[in-house]
Amino acid sequence: MLNRGTLIYISQRLVLIVFTVFAVSSVVFLGIHRLPGDALFNEHLHGTQYQLLLHHYGLDRPLWDQYTSFLTGLFLHGNLGESLVNRGVPITPLVLRELTVSAEVGLFALLFTIGLGMLLGVVAAIRQNTWVDYLLSTTSVIGYSMPSFVIATFLLLFFAVWLDNFTQGTFYFQIGWTGRFGTIGEIWLPAFALGFPYASIVARLTRASMLEVIRQDYIRTARAKGLRETVIMARHALRNALIPVITILGPLVIGIITGGVIIENIFGIPGLGKEFANSILNRDYNIVIGVFTMYAAMVGLANLGVDLLYVVIDPRIRY
Amino acid sequence: MPTPILQVKDLHTEFLTDGGVVKAVDGVSFDLYPGESIGIVGESGSGKSITALSILRLVPDPGRVVSGQVLFHDQDLLQLGGEEIREIRGRDIAMIFQDPQSSLNPVLRTGFQIDEAMLAHNKANRKQARQRTVELLRRVRIPAPETRVKDFPHQLSGGMRQRAMIAMGLANAPSILIADEPTTALDVTVQAQILELLADLNRDLGTAIVMITHNMGVVAGLCSRVLVMYAGEIVEQGPVEQIFEHPQHPYTWSLLRSIPRVDALRHERLRSIEGLAPDLLHPPAGCRFHPRCPFRVEKCFTDEPRLQEVAPDQLAACWVTMERARKEMGADDLIDIRPGAGSGLRKGELTE
Repeated sequence: MLNRGTLIYISQRLVLIVFTVFAVSSVVFLGIHRLPGDALFNEHLHGTQYQLLLHHYGLDRPLWDQYTSFLTGLFLHGNLGESLVNRGVPITPLVLRELTVSAEVGLFALLFTIGLGMLLGVVAAIRQNTWVDYLLSTTSVIGYSMPSFVIATFLLLFFAVWLDNFTQGTFYFQIGWTGRFGTIGEIWLPAFALGFPYASIVARLTRASMLEVIRQDYIRTARAKGLRETVIMARHALRNALIPVITILGPLVIGIITGGVIIENIFGIPGLGKEFANSILNRDYNIVIGVFTMYAAMVGLANLGVDLLYVVIDPRIRY
Repeated sequence: MPTPILQVKDLHTEFLTDGGVVKAVDGVSFDLYPGESIGIVGESGSGKSITALSILRLVPDPGRVVSGQVLFHDQDLLQLGGEEIREIRGRDIAMIFQDPQSSLNPVLRTGFQIDEAMLAHNKANRKQARQRTVELLRRVRIPAPETRVKDFPHQLSGGMRQRAMIAMGLANAPSILIADEPTTALDVTVQAQILELLADLNRDLGTAIVMITHNMGVVAGLCSRVLVMYAGEIVEQGPVEQIFEHPQHPYTWSLLRSIPRVDALRHERLRSIEGLAPDLLHPPAGCRFHPRCPFRVEKCFTDEPRLQEVAPDQLAACWVTMERARKEMGADDLIDIRPGAGSGLRKGELTE
């Protein structure tokens, strides 16, 4: 699988990702410096104190000069600079830590998307035109008709408020994030809210694709050689049915990454998405640039991961 | 007379469609003896493939076997439970299909798909299965089988895929191999190799073969007995040589006559059977072949003929039969299926 062609392909894609990161961070950097006002606007500083701070952040230098030192800092040292609000806090370790938090939420959401989506899709296909199929199809229509922030709000209302009231505090969902990584108890609800709309899409696609696959000749061959029905479905049908599902996984993963911004804010998760909103509200421009750069890299890498999945699932595809 | 290994009795398979009930197989009966190889021939839609699929209960939706018996070792396959019929499939009765391109799973390695046939019936552990797979691939004359087992189906040629399918069919040394048009998707030289292979296996391993085909040439090369199907029914059956020499049903005669021949005259047109295969939703009354039959009599329009002995071992379902057509209708010239005959031209007439 990891032959020479694949490795060359991966390195080409990595180079492209670096270019994307370069382009995104440049646009954000240059754009943000064109905004009216400046980063220290909120603090109502005057005189030498103001000048000293401007000088500390290099904001008194010409834009071109600032831009080149930003690029060399980023690409040569991986240095995204220093926070404008919390002085002295370096941004790179901050966003990297927040990235792991977001990635944790995203991966669990992806688990729901693929696991739940495929399970529901396969069950609906096997029980085609029965009440099970109708129930699952209806659920998935509802699922992808609702944006994740609506689902998140309802889930919070139910699990954190009503359930708490109803069981008088015995069972409830505790909003928040205690350690560096969230516990399963903290993460399942936001991950579900983030993943469910996409799980619905995957379920519908898996169902359609399974129905297509189980009519294929090789499924008849598998039956004719006396395989058990469960083996036929799991080994022969599902893998083929996954191929179209992987095709939409690229956009779905991006949806999960960007949708995480809203979910993290609703559930108070200290990830990249929360930082994204906070930094904009705080006018912490350096962090805004850092967050955007991280998102660009994440989307690029996630897409690469999805494309490599093709090779694992379908042996006819070679890069 | 030995006892038959497989007895199909009055098999009826129907498809429930929006337009009504299609009787794809309508009262088919035949016996298969151990080590024998029989051919089932007919046009597309004659019910030959559905007959084969009905034996192993693999008829696709919305079709179902509605009545009849398929007796194998005194048990009726149509009455078995899901797990019991699964154990028969591939172990005692194996089946290979028309299009090797689509009949192998594209995402699994060819060797593994053959291993699976053995593993499904606990015939071997993984290592033994792999060993036997290599042997089987060698047996079906795939070159370098040790490396080919690791190939995916798309890395094999069409002929090799069909060989792999046959190897899969033989994996558990079944007593019956049902081959549903195994050579149709292959080019002619590969067809000949596959048929030769099947003939060898039939001779060497004693595997009984049911060959489903629309190609009379395939039957002539491989089978000892032939069943001719038309519109879901058997219209003629008997030993191959006898049927080829003296077909008694006009449909059999038409089929034989429509085989293109190398020694045909150059200006002679290909002979086909007039008309279309009947619509099985509304099959014609009387003999189902009567709208296309050149020898029909009044009775053919109203009464359905039954299979009856027309010669030793030979049965035909026809009121007229070619014997009578020849004698009483003076159709001697027409009946001659040799090149040039019946076309109005005589051999040697065109000499420019």
